[in-house]
Amino acid sequence: MTATVESQRSKALKRAGLTALTFLLMVVMCVPGLWVVLSAFRPNAEILAKPPVWIPQNPTFDNFRKIFGLGTDQVAIPVGSYFMNSLIIALTSTAIALMIGMAGGYAFARYRFRGKGGIFLGLMLFRAVPGIALSLPVFIIWSKMGIIDTKLGLIIVYVSLNVPFTIWLIDGFFRQIPLSLSEAAQVDGCTRWQAYWKIEFPLARSGIAAAGVFAFLTSWNEFALASQLTRSTTSKTLPVGLLDFTAQFTIDWAGMCAMAVIIIVPALILTFLVQKHLIAGLTFGGVKG
Amino acid sequence: MAEITLDKVVKKYGGLDVVHGIDLQIAHEEFVVLVGPSGCGKSTTLRMIAGLEDISGGLVKIGDRVVNDLPPRKRNISMVFQNYALYPHMNVRENLGFGLKIAGEATASIVKRVDEAAEILGLTPLLDRTPAELSGGQRQRVAMGRAIVRRPDVFLFDEPLSNLDAKLRGQMRAEIKKLHQKVRTTVVYVTHDQVEAMTLADRIVVMRDGRIEQVGSPMDVFNHPRTTFVATFIGSPPMNLLPATISGGAVRLADGTAVPIPDRLSDRVHEGRRVTLGIRPDDISPVGHGLSQDGPGAEVEMEVELAEPLGMESLIYTRLAGQEVQAKLYGPRLVQPGERLSFRMALDRAHLFDAETGRSVRED
Amino acid sequence: MPFWRRESAIPYLLLLPALAIMALVVAFPLIFSLYTSFTGYRLVRPDSLYDWVGLRNYSRILQDYDFWVAFGRTVLFLTVVLNVEFLLGLGIALLINRITWGQRTLRTIMMFPMMFSPILVGFQFKFMFNDNIGIVNNALQSLGLSDGAIAWLVDGKLAFFSIAFAEVWMSTSVFAILLLAGLFAMPRDPLEAAKVDGCNAWQTFRHITLPFLMPFAYIAMAIRSLDVARAYDIVTVMTDGGPAGRTELLWTLIARVGYDNSRMGLANAMAYVSTILSILFTWYFYRKLVAARRYMGGAQ
Repeated sequence: MTATVESQRSKALKRAGLTALTFLLMVVMCVPGLWVVLSAFRPNAEILAKPPVWIPQNPTFDNFRKIFGLGTDQVAIPVGSYFMNSLIIALTSTAIALMIGMAGGYAFARYRFRGKGGIFLGLMLFRAVPGIALSLPVFIIWSKMGIIDTKLGLIIVYVSLNVPFTIWLIDGFFRQIPLSLSEAAQVDGCTRWQAYWKIEFPLARSGIAAAGVFAFLTSWNEFALASQLTRSTTSKTLPVGLLDFTAQFTIDWAGMCAMAVIIIVPALILTFLVQKHLIAGLTFGGVKG
Repeated sequence: MAEITLDKVVKKYGGLDVVHGIDLQIAHEEFVVLVGPSGCGKSTTLRMIAGLEDISGGLVKIGDRVVNDLPPRKRNISMVFQNYALYPHMNVRENLGFGLKIAGEATASIVKRVDEAAEILGLTPLLDRTPAELSGGQRQRVAMGRAIVRRPDVFLFDEPLSNLDAKLRGQMRAEIKKLHQKVRTTVVYVTHDQVEAMTLADRIVVMRDGRIEQVGSPMDVFNHPRTTFVATFIGSPPMNLLPATISGGAVRLADGTAVPIPDRLSDRVHEGRRVTLGIRPDDISPVGHGLSQDGPGAEVEMEVELAEPLGMESLIYTRLAGQEVQAKLYGPRLVQPGERLSFRMALDRAHLFDAETGRSVRED
Repeated sequence: MPFWRRESAIPYLLLLPALAIMALVVAFPLIFSLYTSFTGYRLVRPDSLYDWVGLRNYSRILQDYDFWVAFGRTVLFLTVVLNVEFLLGLGIALLINRITWGQRTLRTIMMFPMMFSPILVGFQFKFMFNDNIGIVNNALQSLGLSDGAIAWLVDGKLAFFSIAFAEVWMSTSVFAILLLAGLFAMPRDPLEAAKVDGCNAWQTFRHITLPFLMPFAYIAMAIRSLDVARAYDIVTVMTDGGPAGRTELLWTLIARVGYDNSRMGLANAMAYVSTILSILFTWYFYRKLVAARRYMGGAQ
């Protein structure tokens, strides 16, 4: 009798411990981002206040107005152009990478061919080249080709950056679809091309969307290459633009926080939309032979 | 008219031969079952007929057309897959009508033919469900419906019942048989289950290691197996095989037990030939508990090692000439391990195979 | 029939665009940078591109004290960071696996740091570790744990710690999420069999759970190995290699030599060393992954 009571008590204690640990974990995960977001809505005085002001007292959109040049005191940073550059570059490179990745991923998932393993590994190893190391020769070559500091130059680089991983993910999604579905469609009168578009593609669609989001975010977030290959407002992206705030000896924390929010928010929304498929893609792509 | 002709059909994967030159004629509206253990090449053969595998050598003809280089969609066939291969993103109606839609049929005609097929298979109330909402048997029926709705020349079945439980399998077996009687079409059916082969086939093709071992009607294959492989593969429990020698005008087993040579085979063997005596458990029974009491036979005394009562009959495991032998007892009598009984071996359906080649002596 | 019309050509045709873009943007520049690494190329003197110096850049690297310090620091950084990420990730995965509520929500929250721009992560922690206005110092002082301002990003060791902390914060999720997926996919039978066979909790974990999880850990490692160089972004924004080169990693050193000092030839030689390091690293974990997968395949 006492034994059961005791074991029940220890169980309850254990559960409370687990809950507390999880809570702590979530705090560590969330607080850094949250703090930046909160600070984006504070006036500079509150950010610099000592002792700190934990909860914003006068939430304000001034920081955003300022960096977009809408308020009375403007910041000389063309955040609007950076945003558009980022958007155009990330969207275009994602679309191209997805098309290339769908073809490549399908080839790996559905065909047996000579050199398959080697080509796959080769693609992955190319992806492993550090961005800054790659930027040196690309910088020189792009300068000679005259596409340095253009959106096109960065788009091409980002496509190659995204292709290997897109192929890895899409390969995994196609493998989850039984081969017999495509075969059944072919027996039912489809060409292989029709079978792909009517059966396999619709079934892999959400996975392909997840791969697209991943590619988009990789481009959206990239810094090492963009910081060397872009110079002016015609091609500079948001992550590169973030450093504009630290150019002098002082840092405009408020503006930087506001800009951070602009970078974070699309990433958070997209991640939230596809997280389920993305996890499935990462695991199945790697584990299922 | 859709007869199928396989002429020296070969399949190679790299350097490995999977199918070694198969010859087979399948008549119009015939139901042919390819049966054999896994890896015998039966599914590969079926997939070559379907056009899902390249043909490495030989010819496949459907009707008068050589189809070797035709893609599946141009062969006018339909196929039921082992895992059904229903399109998960379409409901039953769309699954059934997909082939017709691809072929460019008019919507009205699609609706009519889908409704007909659904009627035949009892799928009418399920038409708006998705495959995920169906039970195993229902999925099976949808897969069959998808096959018949296009009115193809040939039906191909690739182990269609292997994912069902035993009871449902029996039920679906009967439905397939009825379906074939309703929509007379040439059928090629692949299975590893000899019961399915026996019950469904007009003709059975027993395959082993990429070769055809025997072709014949179910009863023919059962009664006249050409090899020890067919003898043990068709029929359950499998035929007992006992090594023996022809000596003194009798079949002498390893321990010296003499059994008369079955009359119909006596002119096929000569003194001193080493053979294998094949006899089905149904033909070895305790005296007075067998199927036939007269006709040629031999009596031996054996000890019961294990008995499995099955109700009106029991399967008895015993030992003869140092080898395990299965026997059957007809009648509701219980026997105990250790009991010594006199068994009668009915020899009118016994077989003799050559000890070296495993081929029936009738084949010499 | 020409090769490109044959059935066997299809996979190669499908892969052609992928291979073409990789050749254009990666393979070709890598060959070019290999050439450059044998020249004394300086950005400010374009004709120096044809100034062949043989192995001089490489021999200079060999004798370069700063390079080897950065190299050693990079290896140390990666070793520490990846091990901590693996252990923390394993702990988090096991923790969430034990919890009976909100698993999916927790998993979603974990996803977010992974999707943060590294430059943003760097900025975020620069903000938090700021000695004057940072939340970390403010919190410590409010709680009475520290009386003065701790110079997180100014002291060499603390700066290294802060950078590692940022990196771990960003990337632990990769391990946690993949290991958690592994735990979700884990069949119950072997666990129950082990219990029946008399294993205690630790033995079950050691001999059943962990071997099952290893392929998932290797996927995580392989994925991580593709983007370890993202640490460059974090360091650039947090300390830019400072104070006085105390947090200089290989990658920041390359950028400094190549762009700030415009000694492209030398920088390319360094970049080659770091590229080979990354490729070996990825290759190693990819092999591990393949081997683990084969081992698991045998068990099923």
